[in-house]
Amino acid sequence: MHVHELNPKRTAIALVLFALVIVVGLITMTNPRLKYALTPAETIKMVSLDEGFFYPYQLAGMLSGHADTVLLIDLRNAFEYGRGSIPRAENISAVELLNEENIERLEQLKNDGVSVVVFADSQLDANGPWMVLRQLGFENVKILLGGYDYYKKRKNDLASAKNDDSYLPGKADYNFAEMPSAPENSSANAARAKTSITVRRKKKAAVAEGGC
Amino acid sequence: MNRNYIYLTILLLALAGGLFVLPERNNEQGTGPEELMWDIVQPTRYATTDQVARMIIEKDPTIELIDVRPTEEYESFTLPGAVNIPLDSIIIEHYQDYLGVDGMNAVFFSNDDIKADQAWVIARRMGYDNIYVMKGGLNHWVETMIRPVKPDETAPEAEFEKYNLRKGACLYFSGAKPDANAGVQKSGVVVKRKKKAAVAEGGC
Repeated sequence: MHVHELNPKRTAIALVLFALVIVVGLITMTNPRLKYALTPAETIKMVSLDEGFFYPYQLAGMLSGHADTVLLIDLRNAFEYGRGSIPRAENISAVELLNEENIERLEQLKNDGVSVVVFADSQLDANGPWMVLRQLGFENVKILLGGYDYYKKRKNDLASAKNDDSYLPGKADYNFAEMPSAPENSSANAARAKTSITVRRKKKAAVAEGGC
Repeated sequence: MNRNYIYLTILLLALAGGLFVLPERNNEQGTGPEELMWDIVQPTRYATTDQVARMIIEKDPTIELIDVRPTEEYESFTLPGAVNIPLDSIIIEHYQDYLGVDGMNAVFFSNDDIKADQAWVIARRMGYDNIYVMKGGLNHWVETMIRPVKPDETAPEAEFEKYNLRKGACLYFSGAKPDANAGVQKSGVVVKRKKKAAVAEGGC
């Protein structure tokens, strides 16, 4: 108190500094580096749209012509990329995808109107990163259906992949309903459980018999 | 000097008032992009068909199977005990009863694993924990559990152990008998055990 009386300006300085710290804190807090551009509901709609997909046969035209409008990104790690990838593909591993420089790069590509096609060994491996980029608002990012595995199998004859649909996701390879496995109800399952356990016990009994 | 204290009081009151505004801004709870990406690259978010089969057979109470296919497909076939949450309704709040339960492990599955993985990414972003994707989906389920393939003679021991589990699972899920080859293999094991028993007899 005595200090204040001697130097009344100090309170004012402390007050200004206090306010400054709070303001700086607020600014940095409310601005996360990356923000979602899509809500979960919009994301669900987005994943079923065809525009997010890049079909293997589209690679054929792209690889033979000049690829100014499409950039391939290999999301696997550097080691796997080194062992072989799609020609002209760049390597940005999924772990580093959201680094500052990579995000800047992706924003640049988006502004330039370049489509980015992400891929990994399978479509499954690229699905998560693709969905994250899409949710961040990179509408130019597509996913390579079938992934690198499908490309490797077909690389000499990519154009013919147009007549093939084995890479399309969501298909049932079997008619599950006709499988002997169709469960009628839960009690039937319980009964089945019992039989399988009995069988195991019988095996043990046989060993014991041998002992006698 | 007194005036300064009044200013200070007013400033603090104004900031306190600001707290009423702040929570609304950050209301969207869930996982941020960086954290989501980190979770996506973890291989532990996948469950194999073997793990799922084992948990169903052992009646593990912590497993919650979630079929993300459309309702018609769910009604014609699904895994024992699975609930149906079609992909497009995963954001509906009342499914929190299935997804947001502490100590439960929710496993998403679909025909292959893409739809299930999409459901996983959305659910994870919404903040649900302990969720998994059944790798390979129902297609792989049929290949491993309903029609298990016997490994080569030169395959490592672990492959045979896996195959034995799958044979048991096949019996459990479909009631089909193990194939003839498997029978031969089994009797071989029994013969070995008999030999040991004979030694014990000699001891008496």
